[in-house]
Amino acid sequence: MNMTPPVLSARDLRRAYLVAGAPVEAVRGLTLDVHPGEWVAVVGPSGCGKSTLLNLLGAIDRPTSGQLLIRGRDVAAMDDKEATRFRLTGIGFVFQRFYLMPTLSAAENVELPMAEAKMPRVEREARAKELLTYVGLGARTDHRPFQLSGGEQQRVAVARALANRPALLLADEPTGELDARTGEEMIALFDRLNRDGTTIVTVTHDEELAQAARRVIHMRDGVIVDDQVRRPLESPTGAT
Amino acid sequence: MRTLLRWWCTLTGAVILTAPVLRVQGQGMRTLAIDERLATASGLSLGDSVRLAPMASAPSGQWARIGAITRRSADPSEIARSEYRVRLHLDQLQSLTGVGDRIGRFAVRTQLSAGASPDATAVGPDSVSAAINAMAFGFRAYPAAEVAIETSATFRVVNRFHRAIGIITIVASAIFLLCITLLKVDERRREVGALRLLGLSRATVVRSVMLEASLIALLGSALGAGFGAAASAIVNWYYQGVYATPLKFALVTPEIVAIAVTLSLLLGIVSGYLAAQRLVRTAPLELVGR
Ligand SMILES: Nc1ncnc2c1ncn2[C@@H]1O[C@H](COP(=O)(O)OP(=O)(O)OP(=O)(O)O)[C@@H](O)[C@H]1O
Ligand SMILES: [Mg+2]
Repeated sequence: MNMTPPVLSARDLRRAYLVAGAPVEAVRGLTLDVHPGEWVAVVGPSGCGKSTLLNLLGAIDRPTSGQLLIRGRDVAAMDDKEATRFRLTGIGFVFQRFYLMPTLSAAENVELPMAEAKMPRVEREARAKELLTYVGLGARTDHRPFQLSGGEQQRVAVARALANRPALLLADEPTGELDARTGEEMIALFDRLNRDGTTIVTVTHDEELAQAARRVIHMRDGVIVDDQVRRPLESPTGAT
Repeated sequence: MRTLLRWWCTLTGAVILTAPVLRVQGQGMRTLAIDERLATASGLSLGDSVRLAPMASAPSGQWARIGAITRRSADPSEIARSEYRVRLHLDQLQSLTGVGDRIGRFAVRTQLSAGASPDATAVGPDSVSAAINAMAFGFRAYPAAEVAIETSATFRVVNRFHRAIGIITIVASAIFLLCITLLKVDERRREVGALRLLGLSRATVVRSVMLEASLIALLGSALGAGFGAAASAIVNWYYQGVYATPLKFALVTPEIVAIAVTLSLLLGIVSGYLAAQRLVRTAPLELVGR
């Protein structure tokens, strides 16, 4: 299907939680490859392990067993410090509840991961401006989160996720807190991002968001039950 | 020969200055000195003539002119005494009170003579009082420093008491500050959790929490010092008026400010560190609350 090496490669991934002393597997032997330029939507009933999977893919959580390579790096073997660094530079996150810093402006929120990555001030200011313009908020860079609508806040969060040019953009219910119209705008933004080369994995209950993705994975009880490519990649692209 | 010593005497009730105040030219009149407090209370001023009599009802008395108005020294032991002070020439006082040589206490001021080198300690207050004690019978002389130590014993106790209050305040506010910081930091556990998910290191989180806590502590101590300075200015202004004294009742010295700032900065840093540690030890996923 695709000759380029996968950005993400999971083999027999498992994650068990201890519930009342007994291990309960939320992800049960999941195998998955994601190639550069793909846009994968993971759907499934509540509690089937979608968020657990996404946390594993994003080096937020560690698998109980199995192998996970992201850009060829073994994420499961990283210690906390390495995983933190890897999240900073390798992965972009968009959360359902935005999680912007309320005391910082939109631009400063976007600059935060770049500052942590020690990018020079001039450079990160320019990039924050550029990213906010990209997501359609070029005129709102100095606004604080409370001065922005939910959709606008989520777009700031997308800009922040892209700050350090991650190999992979992960989003857990990015439209979950948005109304239908702003949800559509968000879907259009993801579509544009993906067309411009960003590899995306979204977890969602939003049917429209799933429809817009190139590939849809259905999960049930911690395993993949269906994996469909709806729109193949136009041309193999290695760009991020 | 007339003694050149100036005699201090407390004349509570011994001398009553009888009004009316006459503003006459008293060329040949003897002079006396009254203190500021009496001048303010009675409306007397320099050059006024007053009649001195043993009792207010006395038919006659001696006239004297106010030659000086003295200011009280800033002596805390005299604050609570709401008495007036009049300084008279000794012979005049003796004739007024009619008790001749009966003097309770008096002060002798020693002075270096013009030619003496400053390190000639041979005639200091100690040697003078020793000399007086050696030849006098029935009374004792003390150097001023010794008297000062004795009279300030009460104030040293008060001072210790204040220090105890200060320490209790500091300990209580340290606990308070720690609780506030913990609460404030806890309010932001979601944001901090999200930052950790985005890849901000523990060190960055700890550093920024500590920075913020120290800035708040600095700002707080600056405000506190300002407030303290303003409050002590008001306290001084009020009580200096009440007691008619130049004594300072409350002091905010640079050392006190330095101690306050250092202490609060230290407290800020420590409480920031403890609060931040509590945060970064929790898993980010737990912080954001699933
Ligand atoms: N920290 C945890 N401790 C114990 N069990 C957990 C924990 N996190 C998740 N689980 C369990 O793992 C299973 C999968 O949870 P997960 O959050 O991945 O589901 P989900 O597919 O994202 O659901 P939703 O669509 O409602 O978000 C659930 O049964 C859940 O109760
Ligand atoms: Mg979920």
